[in-house]
Amino acid sequence: MAQAQVPVTVLTGYLGAGKTTLLNRILSEQHGKKYAVIVNEFGELGVDNDLVVNADEEVFEMNNGCICCTVRGDLIRIIEGLMKRKDKFDGILVETTGLADPGPVAQTFFTDDDVKARTRLDAIVTVVDAKHFLGQLGQGSEAEEQVAFADVILLNKTDLVSPEELAKVEGKITAINPYARIHKTQKSQIELAAILDKGAFDLNRILEFEPDFLEHGHDHNHEEEVKSLSITSDRSVDPEKFQKWMGALLQLRGADIFRSKGILAIDGAPRRYVYQGVHMMMDSDWGSPWNANDKRASKLVFIGRNLDGDNLKRGFEDCLK
Amino acid sequence: MKIDLSNPAWRQTLPPARSIAADAPVAATAFSRDGTSVAFALGDGSVRILPADIAAPAAGAADPVHGGAVLAVVADPAGDGFVSGGDDGRLLRLAADGTATEFFHQKGKWIDHLAAHKATGAIAASAGKSAFVVKDGEVREFGPHQSTVADLDFSKDGGRLACAHYGGVTVWSIGQVTLPPRRFAWRGSHVALRWSTDGKFIATGTQENDIHVWRMAQATDMRMQGYPAKVKSLSWTADARFLYTSSQPVFTAWSFSGKGPEGKPPLQFGEEGAGLLSVVAAHPTAEFVAGGYDSGELQLGDIKTKRSVALKMADGSAITCLAWSPDGFRLAAGNERGDLLVVDLRR
Ligand SMILES: [Zn+2]
Ligand SMILES: [Zn+2]
Repeated sequence: MAQAQVPVTVLTGYLGAGKTTLLNRILSEQHGKKYAVIVNEFGELGVDNDLVVNADEEVFEMNNGCICCTVRGDLIRIIEGLMKRKDKFDGILVETTGLADPGPVAQTFFTDDDVKARTRLDAIVTVVDAKHFLGQLGQGSEAEEQVAFADVILLNKTDLVSPEELAKVEGKITAINPYARIHKTQKSQIELAAILDKGAFDLNRILEFEPDFLEHGHDHNHEEEVKSLSITSDRSVDPEKFQKWMGALLQLRGADIFRSKGILAIDGAPRRYVYQGVHMMMDSDWGSPWNANDKRASKLVFIGRNLDGDNLKRGFEDCLK
Repeated sequence: MKIDLSNPAWRQTLPPARSIAADAPVAATAFSRDGTSVAFALGDGSVRILPADIAAPAAGAADPVHGGAVLAVVADPAGDGFVSGGDDGRLLRLAADGTATEFFHQKGKWIDHLAAHKATGAIAASAGKSAFVVKDGEVREFGPHQSTVADLDFSKDGGRLACAHYGGVTVWSIGQVTLPPRRFAWRGSHVALRWSTDGKFIATGTQENDIHVWRMAQATDMRMQGYPAKVKSLSWTADARFLYTSSQPVFTAWSFSGKGPEGKPPLQFGEEGAGLLSVVAAHPTAEFVAGGYDSGELQLGDIKTKRSVALKMADGSAITCLAWSPDGFRLAAGNERGDLLVVDLRR
């Protein structure tokens, strides 16, 4: 019996950004839905019921010896445990600690077969404190990485900054990750539909989630250490060459590539080839068919640290027919 | 009386069984020490206790004893009832009639793995990063370990307790004399653990689809690879000659007689089932093994004749747990959907 996969939303953000406020609202508001919430600090939430599960962020390194291939074993165990309950959930929210790297939690959903069978990673939602974000950027890599990983960003506490300051923060966020959808909020007030069930990791919805996905065609920022870049081409792709190039790239640079996704026009293929990944882990599939009047074009997006745009471009061009 | 798989009846019909739809996922099952009843841990917080005799009248649904799901149940080593753990953090003793009394409550933790040692009457429970041992009315904590205890098991004599976690296994001495714990290291996450029935080996299943076995005496270890999925179920035969493992389409046993399994393929036998084995349980006394599949199929295998017979057909709901009655004539199974099955193998 194929069970429906429960969507999982990962909630990241620096300490004090407003994650707890948001979770309290989701747990206490009347929305007719049942969400399990996996938190890292028990008792911080005002709500205490059996839908709240305490986790310890137990990250382990996989045996392949690679530093970026890390997984949340506690999450695997908790998801297996939640599935043993009679009552089913409409969704699961996983809160990470303020200083957490979103990599391990996202990679858990690429790694474990049982978790993949029962749940699907829906989106990474990052809450950003409008007042303190720019200061947090200087304190370590976490604030920047949480934005780089995000599919949805709650730019929160906008009432505490001037319009000029807000524009500066938003500009910085866009410079790091122009693909995330930004919602400006106060006290984490947001329609749940804006953050839940987004399908950001759904290969069939890559286009839908990013309406301008195929329109941008240039590097946004050369000066940022963490940034995104995209490569496009209207020549068709040699699948074997692409596989080889991407495999080697992820082996070599996977630790610095936080998110990657792409839509490829494979030579002779009637359908789009879509993929997306976190660090070295990747999912891919055939997507929607090319219609007669579609312009066959490929686009790749990388978000990461110290990306060498020219090198990536040359590498991809070598895969073209 | 004995189980004889050469009897043609096994090929013609499924053996007599009781099947009850409980409508909540089954996490664990166990027969009582005296073998007269069998308990099923359910996802609605109740523990359903049925008579082992499939013809005897069975009581209806039980009231929840845990908040949330019951995650583990074992026979009470000191009585004819059971011991259960739940995601409400409580460890309960259940009398044969289901009446519950609490051993302890670890708030915010899940009690997800239990072990019971018959001769010493000790009960071990995992709760977060620690293991707790209840013995002679006393509760002692062992840990915390570096990560959550993923499984645990007693040594043959009940004097030691092994806990699986990230990076390997920790073995605690739980006798009167407190000794420092022994650590057996292997990188990665260890998700299942079984101590061999002769006490000489500890086997674990890892997150990365292999199994790891340590020899206690020399503290040397071996690794067996080639599984298509995590090995979450391990079972040693009563004579400790074989270790059965899940996650293959046929019964798969590593031989530990002679020089051990290193460098040799495992023994594989029986009819290929639908899907992969999700649970395996070696017979408590004889050469048989029971295997539940992720398709819902249930098989009984015989390592002597290398045959297997079906006890239940695939129905799409994965078998989650198996238990043998102490006399080895009855087999209990539960699945994800909530079917409680007791099979009578005397035919
Ligand atoms: Zn890696
Ligand atoms: Zn642009």
